Amino acid sequence: MSALEIKNRNELFTPEIRAEIDHEIAKYPEGESQSAAMAALRIVQDANGGWLTQESMDEVAAYLDLPPIAIYEVATFYSMYEHKPVGRNKLCVCTNISCMINNSDQIVEHLNNRLGIKFGEVTEDGRYSLKEVECLGACGGAPMMQVGRKYYENLTPERLDSILDELE
Amino acid sequence: MSEEKTITIEVDGQPLETKAGALLIDVTDAAGINIPRFCYHDKLSIAASCRMCLVEVAKVPKPIPACATQVMDGMVVQTRSPMALAAQKATMEFLLINHPLDCPVCDQGGECELQDVAMGYGSDVTRFVEGKRVIPENNIGPLIATDMTRCIHCTRCVRFGDEVAGMREMGATGRGEHMTIGTFVAHNINSELSGNVIDLCPVGALTSKPFQYRARAWELTRHTGVAPHDSVGSNIQIHTRRGEVMRVHPHSNDAINEVWLSDRDRFSYEGIKSEERLTQPLIKKDGEWVETSWEEALETAASGLREIASADADQIGTLVSPTATLEEIALAQKITEGLGSPNIDYRLRQEDFRGNSRAVPWLGQSIASLEDVDSALLIGSNIRKDQPLLAHRVRKAALKGAKIQLVNPLQLDLHFDAAQMVSDPAGMVRNLAAIAEAAGGSHHLTEQIEVTDEHKAVAEGLKCSKSTVILLGNIAQSHPDFTILYGLASVIAKAADAFVGVIPMAANSVGAAVVGAIPNKGLNAHAMLENPRKGYLLLGIEPGLDINNPALARAAMSGAETVVAITAYRSPCLEETASVMLPMAAFGETSGSFVNAEGRWQSFSGTTGPAGESRPGWKILRVLGNLMDISGFDYSSSEEILDELRGAHGGELQVASLGAAKGKIRSAVTGLARIGETPIYAADALVRRAASLQETEEARDAAVARVNPSVAADAGLLDGEKVAVVQGEGRAEMVLKVDANIPDGCVWVPAAVPGSESLGDQFGELSLEKV
Amino acid sequence: MKVFIDYIRSLFLLELLKGLQLTGRYLCAKKFTIQYPEERAPMSPRFRGLHAQRRYENGEERCIACKLCEATCPALAITIEAAPREDGSRRTTRYEIDLFKCIFCGYCEESCPVDAIVESRTYEYCFENRGENIMTKEQLLAHGDKHEVQLAKDLEAQAPYR
Repeated sequence: MSALEIKNRNELFTPEIRAEIDHEIAKYPEGESQSAAMAALRIVQDANGGWLTQESMDEVAAYLDLPPIAIYEVATFYSMYEHKPVGRNKLCVCTNISCMINNSDQIVEHLNNRLGIKFGEVTEDGRYSLKEVECLGACGGAPMMQVGRKYYENLTPERLDSILDELE
Repeated sequence: MSEEKTITIEVDGQPLETKAGALLIDVTDAAGINIPRFCYHDKLSIAASCRMCLVEVAKVPKPIPACATQVMDGMVVQTRSPMALAAQKATMEFLLINHPLDCPVCDQGGECELQDVAMGYGSDVTRFVEGKRVIPENNIGPLIATDMTRCIHCTRCVRFGDEVAGMREMGATGRGEHMTIGTFVAHNINSELSGNVIDLCPVGALTSKPFQYRARAWELTRHTGVAPHDSVGSNIQIHTRRGEVMRVHPHSNDAINEVWLSDRDRFSYEGIKSEERLTQPLIKKDGEWVETSWEEALETAASGLREIASADADQIGTLVSPTATLEEIALAQKITEGLGSPNIDYRLRQEDFRGNSRAVPWLGQSIASLEDVDSALLIGSNIRKDQPLLAHRVRKAALKGAKIQLVNPLQLDLHFDAAQMVSDPAGMVRNLAAIAEAAGGSHHLTEQIEVTDEHKAVAEGLKCSKSTVILLGNIAQSHPDFTILYGLASVIAKAADAFVGVIPMAANSVGAAVVGAIPNKGLNAHAMLENPRKGYLLLGIEPGLDINNPALARAAMSGAETVVAITAYRSPCLEETASVMLPMAAFGETSGSFVNAEGRWQSFSGTTGPAGESRPGWKILRVLGNLMDISGFDYSSSEEILDELRGAHGGELQVASLGAAKGKIRSAVTGLARIGETPIYAADALVRRAASLQETEEARDAAVARVNPSVAADAGLLDGEKVAVVQGEGRAEMVLKVDANIPDGCVWVPAAVPGSESLGDQFGELSLEKV
Repeated sequence: MKVFIDYIRSLFLLELLKGLQLTGRYLCAKKFTIQYPEERAPMSPRFRGLHAQRRYENGEERCIACKLCEATCPALAITIEAAPREDGSRRTTRYEIDLFKCIFCGYCEESCPVDAIVESRTYEYCFENRGENIMTKEQLLAHGDKHEVQLAKDLEAQAPYR
């Protein structure tokens, strides 16, 4: 935190990221930069390989002129923000009630066996990481998972295999 | 909705008259109807997160929280109906799900809101059989002990940090069952008001570390008292057990400290039990300190002073600490007068005595009114560290939109928005003169002042507001041009139609001035040391730490024939300079009175017996007076002295001018200028010995020399390097810290810290040398 | 008439014989005098004698300085001072029972959440000097160590009723 206070606001992030965050800030009335906290965190997370370091959260706080703890609160509240390195493909598997009834356990087990990792872990080659999430609102297509910005529904072990093969 | 309209509501069948728009919980509280609550606190914003205050309101299908419900005409509320009770019981059950049943080892046990409410509203058996949540330990400093497993997420501490302390250091991270209150990144909480979260926390998650495990609430006897450090005069409760002060709590008084207390006032009680306490009278015999009886010590002291006085009474000088009680100061004054000497002063940290010394420096208005100002100009004041609760009032004004401006010799880390004009000490005077000129006033300084747009902006800010206040703080009072600063402040005040006041330094600064511990025709604190006297009477003073120019003080006193020190502590600089040490009762052990910044007389009684052979200061002075055959020392209680003082000095305080805006600026230096602030936890003898406060980052970082990067580069010095600070004859070795908040040409070298004893004036010329 | 019957009865010493009958019965019955101190009367597991402080099996003292015993003591016989121990745990630095004040009511035992303070079966003790009436923490712990087996057994016997 202390090192950041000295840093100029214009030295934080790259110009592209700054422009993107400024674009988000502009959507809200002046002095309400905290409204842009979620968007800013998303932008910074994407630029950082899918996860947030403490320094990057401090930088977001400094950029938005908020106390760092306010950013930590947001970043730990939402499950979409990661605090540990993730794989290139983050497999978010829903295990909530609709998916559970439609046998998401089997999906999870298949993923565990095929990738050799459990929830919260990353494969050694850094290609996949596995995450357990709550309902993503696609109960009609249960069991489902989300990879990147894309939903994969009506999963079966066979379908999973073909999806995984497609992912880089 | 009109705020003034009176409406009638019905609570539990009882009709209540109230103002429209009031909160239901406030209305029931005022009527004495109890609604359980955890997150609601009348000084904080409403969170409505604990759901404990659910009540039933007619025509509302679900129970609603009383803390977040405004009353409406004809509202019918049931606080004990089956629906309300069921809701309260269910909430209680949920709150207890993750709360450990460790009451026997919890410090809050016996004064725990959760315990009390669980007794009244909870169930006796839990239906929760799953594992409870545990949160790992988190060290947040030497003052607050944490056990976040006990936390019920009321967020009072989070809201306090945000809304009152002005430093959001704690927050709620994670969510659901994984939600944790804490700092997220392990670091200490450094607010000067941090201790208040201990009172706010309804459970044992945040407790006092110095008090940890030491006593139970039910064992303690409560005595009301007055805090002995800053001039706010915070009302406190001193909790004692078996003749020992165990802790200090705030005592609410909306006119003074509201419900808050600064850490310095809360934790300084540890200094009472310091190993350096003087518990036996001491006499210096052939250069050796020997313990002696009270009779011998008093006789030596009395005869020593009397002898000098009979030869030449002007050779006696009395210095009293502004933290001593009114009664003690009055008796010291009486003794000095009785010996025929006119030399007495309490303004130990003042350097400039050109002004009117009979005027009483005080706030000039009430403390509470500070929060209603539209504009304020603070001159030479690190208000947040010097007077934490006055700073809170100013902060409240700032949050309401007041424009706060500061003229200081360093950039402050403030918890409110303020415009800061930073310059070296001489520049402060010039800046202020320029502001005065810009405001349309005139001054008679010997030099020409350049007025810039910045000055005009400040002047404009002061002039175009309805109620403006100009205050001079600790730095201004120690400044070599205090009288000019005051004069300029008056000029600005006149031009801007503002109030001008001084923020007194210590708990009883105003009291000391009121009862006349100021020289009428005699020598002031500085002159008494510049022209060494043969005899000194010191009341509660450590010459190396409490005086503006410690080097001068030590030299003057070492050469004196008799130095009688009435003191609670045996400190090295007293051992060096004094000839008799009389042990005085410390804070909490003596009765007395203080006059706070707004001129309010507040008395307190002793809570425990004095340590060892020490005696209350007023008793020591009474006997001294009697031994010297001075008449009028027949008091049998401190109240008698107080009654006499009230009769003589109890009138309303008047705002009188302390100086004029004329003459030469004395603070201009050719080399580096010293900024000799007194750090918050070095202000007086008691707090300097409060172990836990001394462990805070604030105290540990105090004894350093600070310069800005360019000064460091010019001198070829690096951050963290050891340097020698040379001021006149004095030399002190300190660690150098590069700090961009210090202006060019200045070195921040604090007073009253180890190493500063050999230095000179708090503001003056100095040089830095490599070690 | 009643006076007459009473007179006749007294002539036959009926009252005396009734009394002697009881004497005779006990003359032949089994004796229950105990030859103290060689013999001892049986004791209840709830006997409330001299106090003791117990330890856990690993040697850690049980007392956590919650001060409930001090608070509940009707005779104000218990004095406790506490502070964090070096390892940060809550412990007493002073635990004293004034046996002159103690009325052996057993409330301390009853209130203890960790079964640390108990009243043992010891009832033979005396003081020869002033000050010996105050049992210090060390004495209490030593007494507990000596009788731990019996104390544990007694507590177990009482457990179903507590």
